[in-house]
Amino acid sequence: MAEEQKEAKPKKRMTATKAAASIGPMVKEFITGTLQAKAEGKQKVAYTFIVCHHEEIFRALDVIPVWTENFAGICGAKRDAERFLQRAESLGLSRSLCTYALCGIGFDQWREELGQMPPEAPWGGQVRPDFMISSGQILCDPRSKWYQASQQFMPDVPIYNIDLPYPLFQENRDHREALGYYHQYIVKQLRGLVAFLEEQTKKKMNYDRLRELVDLSDRTWNLIDETYKLRRAAPCPMGTGDAMNTMVPINFMMATQKAYDFFVDLKKELEEKIAKGEGEVENEKYRLMWGGGLPAWYALNDFNYFNSKGASFPVETTYRMVAPLHEMDIPETKDPIEHLAWRWLGYWTFWYDKAKKRPGSEPDVERLINWIEEYKIDGVVMHEAFSCRTWHVGLIWQLHQLAKIYKPIPVYMIGKDGQKGKVYRELPSLILESDIIDITSYSEVDTRNKIDAFVETLESIRANRAT
Amino acid sequence: MSFVLGIDIGSAQSKGVALDDQGPLGSFECASGGNFKLTAEKVKEELFSRAGRSADNISRTVATGYGAKLVIFADEIKSDIVCLAKGISSLLPSVRTVIDIGDLYTKVLRTDGHGSVHSFILSGKCAGGSGRILQVIAKVLQVKVDEIGELSLKSKKRVEFNTGCAVFAETEAISRLSQEVTKEDLLAGLHRALGAQINNLAERIGVEQDIAMTGGGARDIGLVQALKEIRGHDILVPPIPHMTAALGAALIAREGLKR
Repeated sequence: MAEEQKEAKPKKRMTATKAAASIGPMVKEFITGTLQAKAEGKQKVAYTFIVCHHEEIFRALDVIPVWTENFAGICGAKRDAERFLQRAESLGLSRSLCTYALCGIGFDQWREELGQMPPEAPWGGQVRPDFMISSGQILCDPRSKWYQASQQFMPDVPIYNIDLPYPLFQENRDHREALGYYHQYIVKQLRGLVAFLEEQTKKKMNYDRLRELVDLSDRTWNLIDETYKLRRAAPCPMGTGDAMNTMVPINFMMATQKAYDFFVDLKKELEEKIAKGEGEVENEKYRLMWGGGLPAWYALNDFNYFNSKGASFPVETTYRMVAPLHEMDIPETKDPIEHLAWRWLGYWTFWYDKAKKRPGSEPDVERLINWIEEYKIDGVVMHEAFSCRTWHVGLIWQLHQLAKIYKPIPVYMIGKDGQKGKVYRELPSLILESDIIDITSYSEVDTRNKIDAFVETLESIRANRAT
Repeated sequence: MSFVLGIDIGSAQSKGVALDDQGPLGSFECASGGNFKLTAEKVKEELFSRAGRSADNISRTVATGYGAKLVIFADEIKSDIVCLAKGISSLLPSVRTVIDIGDLYTKVLRTDGHGSVHSFILSGKCAGGSGRILQVIAKVLQVKVDEIGELSLKSKKRVEFNTGCAVFAETEAISRLSQEVTKEDLLAGLHRALGAQINNLAERIGVEQDIAMTGGGARDIGLVQALKEIRGHDILVPPIPHMTAALGAALIAREGLKR
């Protein structure tokens, strides 16, 4: 078996908000809570994935979702993923596969082999599930295969797979033409999930309770949107570094009062900071967008490094898995399952109409352009995590397309004729390269050299910007 | 009269340029070795000697490169990206894209002719796309690194190199030599493979003409030729391409005096 050793502990990242600082203990409490619940045996525990719009169904049936991507991220953030990755490799799985999946599979295999948690398992370890709910959506194949691999070590744990598609963007076609078919299909998928959970829990779905939970989620969605929009203020009161903490209630705690209350508190905190003129950075010089890519969880300190150069991050596309519901075409329905399906489709098609209005645009590019303008962004930073094809293929294309169709910066240039002329150029961008949890792919020196050069580039552009 | 230094401490080679108000007074290059602090001192002393000036005359020093932070006498540290843009704008103002082949990284940047950077990209941690691979192969072939360009241009039948990895390239080179492939054909194959990797990197941020190659890798005429063939157009190379960042640092130092 692979050598099992832990990596050096990371330095704690400084947060700008009290709310973000409260997340670590909250996640720890959640992980230990799942272990306790399993020990008590009163509630069923299910492995599952984020952004599937199914947490209301889980909670209505008192099933505790265990977010396996979250646990892998915790291992990464604690710099304690390597021993689980090595274990998965020793099982014959390639390092180039999704490292979240590798970490989870390595952990599960070790736990099952020992019949107890691996030694010094992060925050007590990942609980053994009663069943596993997978969904590749239409974007992530490891999500479909991960639990199948884990099932080799837990053959008694059933898997239920839900399929959650959405219509792809077509410039010359209205997605609404096919939306009804997608809706019917997703409703069927979610009803199948309800039936599976009813069978596993021996409970009947209480649809009044489900409706209340869906309503709670909807209110939380709108509240998150309002809260995050406060970050348009200059100086920006909260950056992407903090948002990588506050993604926890968005992605792991939806349909809970605790998530709603968290954003009530965060909104209040941001309003207070704005009133006092307090920013994430003391003297905000540059406003950057985290334009894509999951973060390197073991290197969140890099956000502090950006901050030390006067750069704040008012907005990020990553993990902002909500959009204002009142701006979506969601038909009135009393059936909470139907509503979940409409919300799913509304979220994924949110930028379609806007993108069609700008020649050469696409939904992901359109979102970048809109947020660059709304949040007054000076540059875009992306992270290419080698092991995550799903979220990262296309990032460079997005930057290319952005540069091609959106040139907001006026500069004077000397032409071939030797004459000085005003031209417009694209927003500068920085591509960081490493992985979500595989620290062997990361070089702090390289990364910070790139950040230094990028900040100097921003400075240089500002100095040469034509009025 | 101002007297400024630009010092570029690279991972393999250290370079320095001395300037006054009129222009360059001298330049110097040496191996960086294992002690960047001492190397920086050595570059400084040699520049004093070549410029015929002393420490009393110095107005400002800007350091750049991998070991810049260890140039403890520097007044300012600037990234090599910014220094390259500044340097190339004074040497070849028509250039809009710079491809710098260093020992540790390949860097591609887009500039505006005034010395302002607009965007840039660096090769990753892998040595496959950087100048290091040239040194590795020179060692395998038992030729001087300065000779590989000329040898490559003499190739009659370029081999297809299958790898972009520096470690695998070494293995592949040894294997090809055992098949009696000539050094010339092998080097032409390597230059082609490296050129393709560098071109892919450049395309990631978009390429505007004119293009210049700088850095130690630009002294390799075989690599320059390979990249020209891949891109299908001319590529400019300044007279002393590996000094471009040091020159840029010196120009930034001189501009700093005016602020």
